[in-house]
Amino acid sequence: MSLRRVGALTRRILQQFRRDRRTLALLFIAPLVILALLGYLLRGGGTVPKMGVVNLDGGPLGSVVASSLESSKLVSASAMSAQDAESRLQSGTIAGYLLLPSDFSALAQQARLIAPEIHLEGSQPGLSQTIVQAVNQSLTSLAAQAGGVRFQPRVVYRYGGPSFDTLDYFGAAFIGLVVFFLVFVITAVAFLRERAQGTLERLMASPLRRPEIVVGYMLGFTVLALIQAIEVLAFCLLVLHVHNAGNVALIFLMEALMAIFAVNLGIFLSMFARTEFQAVQFIPLVIVPQMLLSGVIFPVSTEPGPLQVLSNVLPLTYAVDGMRTIMIKGADLGWSQLQLDLGVVAGFCLLVILAGATTLRRQVA
Amino acid sequence: MSVASAPDLAVDVDGVVKRFKDITALDGATLRVRRGEVYGLLGPNGAGKTTLIRSLVGLVAPDAGSITVLGQRMPQLDVLGRVGYMTQQAALYPDLSVEENLRFFGAIMGATDGVREALELVDLWDRRHSVVGTLSGGMRTRCSLACALVNKPDLLLLDEPTVGVDPQLRIQLWDRFQAMAKTGTTIIVSSHVMDEAERADRLGLIRFGKLLAEGTVAELKQQAGVDRLEDAFLKLSERGAR
Repeated sequence: MSLRRVGALTRRILQQFRRDRRTLALLFIAPLVILALLGYLLRGGGTVPKMGVVNLDGGPLGSVVASSLESSKLVSASAMSAQDAESRLQSGTIAGYLLLPSDFSALAQQARLIAPEIHLEGSQPGLSQTIVQAVNQSLTSLAAQAGGVRFQPRVVYRYGGPSFDTLDYFGAAFIGLVVFFLVFVITAVAFLRERAQGTLERLMASPLRRPEIVVGYMLGFTVLALIQAIEVLAFCLLVLHVHNAGNVALIFLMEALMAIFAVNLGIFLSMFARTEFQAVQFIPLVIVPQMLLSGVIFPVSTEPGPLQVLSNVLPLTYAVDGMRTIMIKGADLGWSQLQLDLGVVAGFCLLVILAGATTLRRQVA
Repeated sequence: MSVASAPDLAVDVDGVVKRFKDITALDGATLRVRRGEVYGLLGPNGAGKTTLIRSLVGLVAPDAGSITVLGQRMPQLDVLGRVGYMTQQAALYPDLSVEENLRFFGAIMGATDGVREALELVDLWDRRHSVVGTLSGGMRTRCSLACALVNKPDLLLLDEPTVGVDPQLRIQLWDRFQAMAKTGTTIIVSSHVMDEAERADRLGLIRFGKLLAEGTVAELKQQAGVDRLEDAFLKLSERGAR
């Protein structure tokens, strides 16, 4: 082994990076951005899940549990009527509520049985878990006071349920994300290749209009993306048996919109890259923050306030919410939540198509 | 709005200036090419040949001056359907076959046929099913030329078309260029190879982004007072540099 030859290789690599400032910046800035985002998400004093407490108990114990829960730091609990709680659960403004029945104190004192009802919205496992945990804590303090009692809480899921596993919750979001991610990368690299192999120059020296190039590309890649979307969907539903309460055609519609968005985002962003290498760099900058902030893993409603603002302008947030609304909640087109999700994603599609068509430059220099 | 220039001109470039940051690629270039003419654009590397050709097809937006192509003031997209442009490096889709490449560019340019004719012209009809990625460099050049011919253009722009082409085919291609010119096609060929430049009807010597001299081979030799085109080129460029 010649040290000189090895050294020449090492030096050459460092020299190349010195000229490619962008890659260098990415190498050192991207990890800090991603980790800072993660840190802020997890430790930034995010808001806790909102829940209701419905105290129908005729005896004294119900209010003990209620006040213990209302002072809990895990959740933001507030007292409300049963009717109110049910309608808020439906609209999604609370993630669940604790119902203390009228015989709660009586049962606890006579039969040594603590039997409240926990009603959960259920579409986001993280929120459900936190609520169950908070309720258990407040009941534990009661049990300590009373001594020798049995817990028998009844958990009622509005959506999902005990039969749901992690894949049922994440599968819905990932069906869309897998398609989005792969289609984005392939389109961005393909469009750059067009530039690098000189064929884009030739296209630009033809009567082709810029919108024709963008729409032609979009259709071509969308055909591929839709076939992929069908494959992913079929695999998730038929092989992995991911739970689906909704209409398969609607899932496909949302997937298709995500694919169209990804294709055009790929075209648009590839205008800002000179090499395929630089195109791949968009992954940590564009994809990873969206993964963290779109509610796939961490519910948007419990993020720190400023991040919620950011999440609410990201297209993926609506795409993920839409997929879950369809697959877990069984939404149809009559649901205003789904209308919003589909509308926002479609709007973003239009936006990137326009952005791509106007940014594409005819001049090579 | 397009402004018509003299009807017998295929290309009318008037005082075009193009700067890239601190480099002036075109410095008041003026070029007039008549219809049906084979015009050789001669100049060393970096003289501005490619920038001038690119400006004819709208790939370079001039900072000053005007460009008229086939009677249309540029930029104008529709006239590009009547122009064939062969880039310096073969610009093809390596995953497509020869024929698929031609059909694609034909469709883009608005041509309905002409694939077979173009491929026969460059001797690639037998290889039409070959995937471009598997072709040799010379074959790719020919395929790229065929793509520029597929729309039977009125104006053919060839940026160093015979680089990497063997001498036999080079002669053959030039015969074809001259035959096409006889049927009314205007051809602008850039080159730095003197012996092939001699086959052009007229030559323009370009250097430092300017046209330094222009004329037939005989005229240029006479202007420089030398016998060889190569010497004429050197002498005239020196004069221009001063």
